[in-house]
Amino acid sequence: MAGPLDGVRVFDLTLWMVGPWASLQLGALGADVVHIEQPGVDWGTLGAGVPPLINGTSAGYITWNMNKRGLFLDLKSHDDRQTAYELLQTCDVFLINMRPGAAERMGVGYEQVKAVNPKIIYTAVTGWGEVGPMRDAPGADPQCQYFTGFWSVSGERGGRGEVYRHFTQLDGSTGNATAQAVLMGLLARKRTGEGQRIHVGMVRAGMALQSHRIAEYLATGAAHEPLGSAGYAAAPDQAFQCQHGDWIGVSATSEDEWQRLCVAVAASEAEGDALSGLGEDARFRRNLDRVANRDALSAILREAFIQRPRHYWLLRLGDAGVPCGYPMSFETLQQHAQVIENGYIQQVVTSGWGDVWTGGPPWEFSRTPARLFGTPQPGEHTGDILDELTQRRVSADHPADESVPVIGG
Amino acid sequence: MPGPLAGVRVIEIAEGVAGPYAAMSLGDAGADVIKIEPPLGDRSRGWSPQTSAGASVTFQSINRSKRGIVLDWSSGGDIEIARRLLAGADVAVVDKHSLPAGLSWDAVGNAGLVYCAMSGFGPHGPWRDRPASELAAQLASEATASLGWLGEEPVRQGADIGSMYAANYAIQAICAALYARDDSDPSAPTGGQRIDVSLFGSLLAMRSTMWVALSNPDEWWGFHLDSYVKPPDHGYQCRDLPIYFSVARVDAERFDALLDELGMAWARELPAEELERLRTDGAGGTGRYAHELKRYWERGFANHDAAEVIEIVERYGCWAFPMHDYQRLTEDPQVAAVDAVVAVEQSDGTMLRQVAPPWDFEGTPVEVTRSAPRLGEHQAEVLDELDA
Repeated sequence: MAGPLDGVRVFDLTLWMVGPWASLQLGALGADVVHIEQPGVDWGTLGAGVPPLINGTSAGYITWNMNKRGLFLDLKSHDDRQTAYELLQTCDVFLINMRPGAAERMGVGYEQVKAVNPKIIYTAVTGWGEVGPMRDAPGADPQCQYFTGFWSVSGERGGRGEVYRHFTQLDGSTGNATAQAVLMGLLARKRTGEGQRIHVGMVRAGMALQSHRIAEYLATGAAHEPLGSAGYAAAPDQAFQCQHGDWIGVSATSEDEWQRLCVAVAASEAEGDALSGLGEDARFRRNLDRVANRDALSAILREAFIQRPRHYWLLRLGDAGVPCGYPMSFETLQQHAQVIENGYIQQVVTSGWGDVWTGGPPWEFSRTPARLFGTPQPGEHTGDILDELTQRRVSADHPADESVPVIGG
Repeated sequence: MPGPLAGVRVIEIAEGVAGPYAAMSLGDAGADVIKIEPPLGDRSRGWSPQTSAGASVTFQSINRSKRGIVLDWSSGGDIEIARRLLAGADVAVVDKHSLPAGLSWDAVGNAGLVYCAMSGFGPHGPWRDRPASELAAQLASEATASLGWLGEEPVRQGADIGSMYAANYAIQAICAALYARDDSDPSAPTGGQRIDVSLFGSLLAMRSTMWVALSNPDEWWGFHLDSYVKPPDHGYQCRDLPIYFSVARVDAERFDALLDELGMAWARELPAEELERLRTDGAGGTGRYAHELKRYWERGFANHDAAEVIEIVERYGCWAFPMHDYQRLTEDPQVAAVDAVVAVEQSDGTMLRQVAPPWDFEGTPVEVTRSAPRLGEHQAEVLDELDA
């Protein structure tokens, strides 16, 4: 069975991460993504050359361009631009992430593309937005991540806010929001028959990812102080150290989970006067009480968790239905049954960089499965795609009753 | 004008962040969303801090664009009402772990239904029945390796990224499955299906770059690989505020002038190798030696406000950006220009400012108007519609 977007074709004029991440999702969902790149590209500059490299190419490029076919087109040349327009007639989606105005200069602004294909879902991605004083500033993940305040709500308790040292989350999240917007555009077209132009910017996508945190500030005017492993909204919801020094994260974000945690802690026979009466302690009656008395609660629980090994708590809290988890590394995840059985990390074959590990599709569809295939070389499918366009031209010149002979069967 | 999802009917049976945010996004995009809550309400109503409307800011800001009813799973009649709502819906967003058996995908019997089950750790494997929390999922997916100190108490991302990633993937999957559905008979679509999305799987997918980087790198360095062995990164502290910047594009001659302007002429006396690193590796904390070089920059920046440093660095054709907290972010002219914040009137008449959805649709614009429902606010209205 083909994926849910089987039959959808994407004109993918994207580079770096945010645009490619959007088309990566559409490809995984079954769309035929044609990734357009400039002929003669230096592989060392792909993905902006961001290290580390694999066979001289940025690991980022290899990650972000799976599930696609590669086509070389030089949009500055007249002939290639005509090819682009011909290809656009067969496409449902146009995707670009360049600064405002760049598409028009290459002959693929919305009006230009719409003239070729009025039903196109034309989607532009920018960093800072298409308006405003910063519209022309360079914007990728690190810059927009710092600007949108993620760092201000993360950090050691009592310390300064700190940056998430993994600069793909905002590119990826904006790419995901872009893929959503494309899909919504396709759904609207399914209903109305009309194409449209869509825009997604990183600043708003980054803020959307922090929706309720930012709303908390807007409602209260109070800055969030970093809380280490602890969450802002509920308590207890933090990491505790267990008997041999390992950490376990334990969360009771509903009254039910709190009561179940109290039972599990009391049953542990850990020593401490407060432990058996925890469920009745007035300081901790409702979540708002527990948040207000977070320090006292955390001190009591810390005493309990340190008395038993982490595995003990994983079993007991697991049985009790209290959400818990512990830090795992790549080496553990690679071999973990939970990862393998859900296909969450998989190995794929690429065209120029050997076998690599990557994230599997995050969705499981019962009827139209998602897919994952490895990165093509830039321009790898140029011949195939140009042949398809030639076939289409021949078919148009020769209506169906004069069937075109298929060579090679 | 209606949003892109006008005419789509969504039933949400979910709590906390992931399911509710996914359903709200569908509602923002124009779908008719009905949220079903248990008698005590969505757990997030009781979170901190609270609004004057009697529920938490979290609840109010991720449950707009919905109507709300209350059903009690200890009542067979209420389960039947939910089943009938699902039988007439296009989309279901459900929390897998708390759903009664009578409301499973198989039990509902709606061939066109796109049924998205949200879980903690995924539909298969030894942890399939374990609920996750935001923290448990962040820890298990190794996301917390990119914060704090290795071996110390883990530091979580204060934004609930695991839940939000899962919500974002759920929205994609739901829209894709709706697209794949056969709507040729609009009154009885077919080709619906069940979708599974988890916090754990979504977090792992979002770290794909890390998995590729770890596969077989030519050299063991670069910010996709070695972040977990680096110390916490607070940016580059100026006299008043922290910034991020890169001077990697400045040539050697102008670099001297840049150092002079920043009051860092002393840096020109550094050993040649160190000076060259300072010029070429100052890529905003992401360079190989960025951590070791930071002390030089901060010694210079201590004499300037952030705005001055940004102005100087930009004049040399390089980039520098302020590190905003939420106050500076929401007061920034760029944020105002892109309409990132919307104000929605709450049920008690007060206005609650919150973050707008991230997409601009020129043909089917999106408008956010409906505030989060009071518990059971639309009970009569929805049940009347069901009987009609």
